[in-house]
Amino acid sequence: MKKVLILVGIASLLTGAVVEAQQRKAQSQRQQQPAVKHEEVIQVLKSGLSTDPRFAWKIEQDEAQRICSQYPSREEMPGQAIQKVIQLSQAEIRYPQWGIYMGDWKEGQKIVRTPRGGRFASYGFSDKPTDKGGNCYACHLIEKGVPGGTMGPNLYQYGKRWGITKENMNSPEAVEKIRAVYNIVYNSWSAFPCSSMPRFGYHGNLSPEDVANIVAFLLHPESPVNK
Amino acid sequence: MRKKALLAVFTAGALAGGLLSTKAFAQVEGELSPEEEMKLVQEFNRMLAEGINPGEIWYEVGKEAIKKYNLDKCDLGLGPGVFKGAAAQLPRYFPDAKRVMDLETRVGWCLQQHAGMTQEQVLKFVRQCWGKSGNCVSEYDGIIMYLTMESNGYKINVNLRDPNVKRMYDIGKQIYYTRLGPWDFNCATCHAGKQEVRIRATRLWSMDRPGEVGKAVSIFPKYLVRWGLPMSMHYRYAECIRQMRWPEFIPHSDLGVALSTYLYGSANGTEINAPGIGR
Repeated sequence: MKKVLILVGIASLLTGAVVEAQQRKAQSQRQQQPAVKHEEVIQVLKSGLSTDPRFAWKIEQDEAQRICSQYPSREEMPGQAIQKVIQLSQAEIRYPQWGIYMGDWKEGQKIVRTPRGGRFASYGFSDKPTDKGGNCYACHLIEKGVPGGTMGPNLYQYGKRWGITKENMNSPEAVEKIRAVYNIVYNSWSAFPCSSMPRFGYHGNLSPEDVANIVAFLLHPESPVNK
Repeated sequence: MRKKALLAVFTAGALAGGLLSTKAFAQVEGELSPEEEMKLVQEFNRMLAEGINPGEIWYEVGKEAIKKYNLDKCDLGLGPGVFKGAAAQLPRYFPDAKRVMDLETRVGWCLQQHAGMTQEQVLKFVRQCWGKSGNCVSEYDGIIMYLTMESNGYKINVNLRDPNVKRMYDIGKQIYYTRLGPWDFNCATCHAGKQEVRIRATRLWSMDRPGEVGKAVSIFPKYLVRWGLPMSMHYRYAECIRQMRWPEFIPHSDLGVALSTYLYGSANGTEINAPGIGR
């Protein structure tokens, strides 16, 4: 550490003028920059989390997360950052291998209802690392009479609101609507950059087929959501 | 007076514990049936109405444990064994450990210094009741309860003019907003914003609504009716981080200290009033 400092010292003597100019530039930048370096923050953060190699992938921050971390809310994001997150997110959307389709709403309902999935600790609790679920009711009201949270929008009669009926549900227009909702569930940031809603498909928490089933649960005219 | 209260509290605690399981220490299950949920809420409301807080049992447990583990030599920043008001000025920088420490981290350090525990043993001691429900009484929870309650009535006063403390505050603040993990959460996902929101039935406190951070942290350790034990701050961090789908939280880490420094630093001026009680 000390050696590095000495080296830096010598280097700065040699290139005094250049360094001075850079320092001035750095100083003007520092006013907008946070008080501590990003690397230092990540280092402290990681020092407090289990190093179990099975979960190491969970704490590799991607570019979109890094952008979103800089702003307390979307209102404070510059347009450029919003564009970047949307662009990154749209590029990462994958569809089921046979393309967009109306999935099985009964299967979707199961994933919507379970709070499990990805939530693993070595103490107590019966969650397994292999569990999967959407825990959608934590934030959304969805079916009539089922208690839910208010962090996300109320999704009751979501399919009706999109105008999907038994008659038109196989039309090209309906398929495009299914695709739009699929994109939100698969990667919410493709439509709402830095939203609180996890990017379920992007991270592989849910498969494209799981997402299609959830979308069916939300949109299918026979699903309890639209009764 | 205290004895009578304790007796009432023991009965209440046993009741609360018995709600979830007939076993002494049940493993906590993720979900409750609506009936269990109802029973808990009723029990919680009754305790609130009667002014019963079973968390106070842990004060006595802690008083004994402090003698047993030589913690009367522990210096929380006001001198060895001076505990009145000490928790209120934490986290602070400790030259002997060359580290900013919050209450729990400092107690862990003292357990290593004065009780001859290894770091491993301390972590085991800290986590002995994690994930358990039904009157799991841990000496660690007792120690934290005792030391915090000795600061009841004192105002939180984190010295943010100390550059070491300020640095941890800044790191904690940035961690608060760091989106990470397979579910993209940060602390602010749940605990920020002007608008009041709920996760299922739980109303969330927000860093952006004045006074709420103080209200949230000043009542820790907080007695949880559903698990029948007081939840310390580091257990709270571990549970938030579990829900955030990050890898498991390590108590007494700098991550915990940074979060405490940001949270308590933001709560400066709030009177400590432990234990709180929650569902």
